[in-house]
Amino acid sequence: MKLGATANRAARRFISSLPALFGVVVFTFLLMRVLPGDPAVFFASGPQAGPEEIAMIRAQMGLDKPVPQQLLLYLRDLSQGQLGRSLTTGQPVLVDLRNRLPASLELTLTALLIALVAAVPLGVAAALRPGSLVDHIVRFVCALGVCVPTFVSGLLLIYVFYYLAGLAPDPTGRIDIFMSQPPRVTGFLLIDFAIAGDWEGWQAAARQLMLPALTMALFVVAPLARMTRASMLASLGSDFVRTARSLGLSRRKIVVTYALRNAILPVLTIVGIVFSTMLGANVLVEKVFSWPGVASYALDALLSSDYAPVQGFVLLMASIFVLVNLTVDVLYGVADPRVSVE
Amino acid sequence: MACALLTFTPWRLAKRGRVADSLQEFYRGKMDIMTRIKISLFAALLAGTALTAAAPAIAQTRAETLRHVTGAAINTLDPNMPGSTREAFGLSLLTYDRLVSFGRKQLDGKWVFDLDTIRGELAERYEVSPDGLKIVFHLRKDAKFHDGTPVTAEDVKWSLDRAVTARSLAAGQMLTGSITKADQFRIIDQHTVELTLPQPDKLALPNLATVYPVIFNSKLAKSKATAEDPWAQEWLKTNTAGSGAYIVESFKPGETTILRRNEDWKRGPGNSQAHFKRIITQTIPEASTRANLVERGDADIVIDLQAADAADLEKKGRLKVISTPQYNAITFVSFNTQMPPFDKIEVRRAIAAALPYEDMFKAALFERGKKLFGAEWAGGKAPDGSTFPIVQPLKTNLDEAKRLLTAAGFPNGFETTFSFNVGQAGTAEPMAALLKESLGKIGIKVDIQKLPDAQMSTLINEKKVPFFTEGIVAWLPSMDYFYRNFYIGPIRWNYSSLNDPQITEWAQAARFEGDKAKYAAYGLQLNTRHFELMPQIPLWQPSQDAVMATSIEGYTYQFHRQIDFRDLSRK
Repeated sequence: MKLGATANRAARRFISSLPALFGVVVFTFLLMRVLPGDPAVFFASGPQAGPEEIAMIRAQMGLDKPVPQQLLLYLRDLSQGQLGRSLTTGQPVLVDLRNRLPASLELTLTALLIALVAAVPLGVAAALRPGSLVDHIVRFVCALGVCVPTFVSGLLLIYVFYYLAGLAPDPTGRIDIFMSQPPRVTGFLLIDFAIAGDWEGWQAAARQLMLPALTMALFVVAPLARMTRASMLASLGSDFVRTARSLGLSRRKIVVTYALRNAILPVLTIVGIVFSTMLGANVLVEKVFSWPGVASYALDALLSSDYAPVQGFVLLMASIFVLVNLTVDVLYGVADPRVSVE
Repeated sequence: MACALLTFTPWRLAKRGRVADSLQEFYRGKMDIMTRIKISLFAALLAGTALTAAAPAIAQTRAETLRHVTGAAINTLDPNMPGSTREAFGLSLLTYDRLVSFGRKQLDGKWVFDLDTIRGELAERYEVSPDGLKIVFHLRKDAKFHDGTPVTAEDVKWSLDRAVTARSLAAGQMLTGSITKADQFRIIDQHTVELTLPQPDKLALPNLATVYPVIFNSKLAKSKATAEDPWAQEWLKTNTAGSGAYIVESFKPGETTILRRNEDWKRGPGNSQAHFKRIITQTIPEASTRANLVERGDADIVIDLQAADAADLEKKGRLKVISTPQYNAITFVSFNTQMPPFDKIEVRRAIAAALPYEDMFKAALFERGKKLFGAEWAGGKAPDGSTFPIVQPLKTNLDEAKRLLTAAGFPNGFETTFSFNVGQAGTAEPMAALLKESLGKIGIKVDIQKLPDAQMSTLINEKKVPFFTEGIVAWLPSMDYFYRNFYIGPIRWNYSSLNDPQITEWAQAARFEGDKAKYAAYGLQLNTRHFELMPQIPLWQPSQDAVMATSIEGYTYQFHRQIDFRDLSRK
């Protein structure tokens, strides 16, 4: 019964987000064409680069047609599952995104996991003794994580762990270049290596993942820890915790079962937002660690006014955002049964 | 082999851990002497076998592999595709053969490509008729494509027809060598092809050595062609059909490209093979990471470091740094000579007299390059006409600048913008700041504009940028080629929109001038007039800093400003 209600709600949410997705597609499409910079001119690099060559590229990109017609053609391609071809990589955008999305997801999920494992206990510890030394240390760590830009902390980590100490592998992508890739099943190297049973490879991939994931995690620990602390404080000061205390329940049961479970709801919301932001905004981390993810792909395309990849990327991000929100919604129901009663 | 050994490691590590535990017990004296000896023997044996088994095999394959890191990406396997990157050009030189290729020469002690020596590549030899109108190529009889089919005159004819007919980058380049039509190529027999020219053209042969007229396996390519795509352009973007020194093993655009040596290929200088068995090209966007990689010996060669990093690595002295001024390139400050106030020669000359050249050279390039300023020209006449660019008589003289500006009718200066693209920001930004400061002293107020690359190209193509910095490169750096491609007509590369009948006339006449002395005489006039008109202020030729492991030898600066890996070997 409860499950049915949750699924129902998820489905309704999903359908209501479709117009928004369509809006995003049209908006990005128009935005790209309004931006200054003509891709045909940029990619025409021959010695003559005369009007003919530019016209040739324009025709190749379909830019010789009027914008409304271009939009209709693009929507038609979309309905057939085509996202166009990237001039920067020379590949169909769909293939590029399919190859690169697992890299971004693997990095982001690992970073999020590290951040959560660090942030929730930190937040709880700070909330249990507000104003204490622990609280101040947590506040300091959070402030540091937020104010050091990711590319600085990334370069710093590389300098210390790769260049000076030689502990980390060279920061050049997902796996040591001299190692062979596992057979592709999911695109997530850690999972694919595990499926192949190649634990040496798994270890290598995990080592490669460590620094970039840490860099990203450092940056998002702050919002998560602060949110955990705030909502834990509210939760600890509420009536049911006082009741639980007066009933003489164990401290562990009060903090973990009652206070934390009730405090986790706003944290979940933040996790959803943080995840979507990280996926798109970790372009600096991807650049610093040569991580073949979607964000750096989109940035390269944007700089050279390569329309198709940017549009594909925005659509992908919007879809992921919708999915993540759905998941968070479902998790609400799990964390707090009252939510499903709308 | 290496991988098999690498997968062996966890077991090895686990064993080592166990041995260490046993050794701890050993020191705690809980074991009898025989066990101790057995354990130490076992440990020594284990460590020994593991090392001897693993180390040489890995070292060997590593030595035979060249790892190249770059900030840019290879985006196609067919260099003719519109939008091909420079790295894609570099790759095509390895996977495909051309009829001929450039020789090399020493310039100030550095090896550079030589426009004037053309040696056979797929052609065993070639003959130019006395009137210069016919070139006959004799193909190597032993040459084979990667799939084993022999290279024939038909393949050559198909490929060169493709270069001039297909809608690709090649046609625009080939016409600079008077090669425009398919009927200029004639098959004489299975191993002989003849090229007919409408007039003798010095650049016909060099054009055939550039990256476009590569020879395809025509049977293979034709089998992939369709009615809409008769030249198999779509298929060749992601597949190769060549006979080059290397075969593509894996191609991940924007990440890595791995090449394997073509063991049958012996078409290097003196019929040599390529040295490296494997070449890995990896895209590493962050310049400082590239510097770290090569410094720690994890990468073997890199040519696109920041000038500061290259200077730093050279000072440390642990790596080989070959810094070659790009003698076929120029960085300049350009005016749009059709836009006021830059349509006035005095304004352009005033600005040329006001730039702080030495400071700009230091701040932008860390002095890594060849200066194109500071010469003395007797009587204002160019001292050399055989080449372009030559060092210009440019000096900083603010009083002169002020005088010229007043003469142009701007005693109080004016306001303008100065633009550069984001991709060049590393060098252009410090330079622009110095330019702004210096021009401020003569009353010209400059607003610096940093534009995204695509936007800058668009504005330049539409001739809407009044005052900016850019760089140009000529694959075939002959004097007339520079003038014809960069200072004539309404084309995009005529950055300054110069429209001077004299320059146009002399440059066109020089193109077909066979006599060296007469050619140089045209050059003298052109170089002198170019300086007088000052459509652009040539600043310098930046160096290409090739930073490599000390064991790498044979590096040569190439026309396409990429590494030709066939040149390289490891000591």
